[in-house]
Amino acid sequence: MIDNFKKTTMQYSSNYFTYILLLAVPLLFTTSCKKDTYALPTASDKLQNQAIKRTLGPNIVGQNIEFAYAMAILPSKGKLVACTAEASIAGAPGTYMENRSFYTAQTGADVGVTVGSPSVTSGNTTTVTYNVDTSAATLRFYYVIPEAARGKTVSIKFTATSSDGESISTTMGPYTIAQMDMKLGLKVSDNNLMYISIADTTVYNAADAAAHAASIDLVYLYRNLTTSAFNHALVAPAADAQYLPGVTLPTGVNRSAKLLKTFNLQDHNLAPNLQYGGLFIDDLDFQKIDLSGQPNFAINLKQEAGVWVETTDGKYRAYIFFNTVTAAGTATISMKRYTLKN
Amino acid sequence: MKRNSTILLAILLTAFAWISCKKDNPVDEDGLLITTRRECSVSSFELLGPDYVSVRVGTAVIDTTAQTVNVTVQFGADLKNLYPQFSLAQDCKLTPRITGRTDFSDLVNPRKWTVISGDRQVKKPYTVIVSVQPR
Repeated sequence: MIDNFKKTTMQYSSNYFTYILLLAVPLLFTTSCKKDTYALPTASDKLQNQAIKRTLGPNIVGQNIEFAYAMAILPSKGKLVACTAEASIAGAPGTYMENRSFYTAQTGADVGVTVGSPSVTSGNTTTVTYNVDTSAATLRFYYVIPEAARGKTVSIKFTATSSDGESISTTMGPYTIAQMDMKLGLKVSDNNLMYISIADTTVYNAADAAAHAASIDLVYLYRNLTTSAFNHALVAPAADAQYLPGVTLPTGVNRSAKLLKTFNLQDHNLAPNLQYGGLFIDDLDFQKIDLSGQPNFAINLKQEAGVWVETTDGKYRAYIFFNTVTAAGTATISMKRYTLKN
Repeated sequence: MKRNSTILLAILLTAFAWISCKKDNPVDEDGLLITTRRECSVSSFELLGPDYVSVRVGTAVIDTTAQTVNVTVQFGADLKNLYPQFSLAQDCKLTPRITGRTDFSDLVNPRKWTVISGDRQVKKPYTVIVSVQPR
């Protein structure tokens, strides 16, 4: 009885296995042998466009935002007639659109081919009119950020038109324009241009510093001492006299400041020629940094070092970067400045 | 069949009991392993400025008998905002914990830290004496 039961069970198992196999094998064949079909995509017969923003980092007043705007139409349909960029806030003088279309040569260099007349800017709108027979082009647009846009947002609407009467647009943005200012390449020198004003983002000599005494925040000095590493320094006029050796401050220059030394913070806006990329100080950094309890002097500064500064009246925060220094007691500095209160 | 099952069950139960009753390694209130080591000393010391660059002049002198660390810092170092770094003997820990910038500006009353051995039985207070390089 038991033997019969075992036999029957085994028989059933064997049958099930066979059925599953019979079902699975054709299924496998169907799946694996399915022929992929591919057809060349059909080009759209409409006027087409695409835009990218080429610049990175914060958008700072006075600096460019660069775009590349590509447009194309089938040659059989017509040719390009004009390209327009319309900003929500009119760009500052210097805003223009390239009248050359760029391609990248095998060497990697961008090569421009003139396709239109030089751009014409009127109010918010910049236009290039094509003067060659072309059905595809990529034009670059350089929007110089105006003072009017500080702290606001800006959008750019690109429009291309073709000879068949078609028109197409793409809007880029909105982009937030930073509150901060930037000043590059200030030359400072010991015993001469050594008085730094954050408020004016300017460097003064002693005579001019006396005339702007209320706005002098820092003194640059260089001392090559054998007993200590003093070297390049930024010191607030109100600092202890031991940090201002041999300095006779002009009349009225007596403000303090809070300074925080920093190393390895090579902001790409302030140090554009260095190999460090992709690191930017933005408004948020100035808003967040806590400089309470910091001293009013920074001694032994080196090339590519930086100093965060807060003025004594709490009106400004700044980041000063040492681009270059020399053993002759000179330096080139660059500055980003953020206004905390007006 | 029944006998085999009983044996298997007995083996499994024994293994389970052995695993679950294995004694955990002891840890202290900071979650750090308590070991049998009794060494209790500072092996090296560093002081960093707010830019995380050393402000030390020369090597810090560590006296394990007097339990002092003598360190000279550069002229112009901001003594109120320094980051101390201790290297300790194996399995030791430091109290109070260093959580950020430390104020060393009170040169008359130097700061103290206590080194605690790996077995948490030996405690040695170390005094960090900071002096400033002359200009």
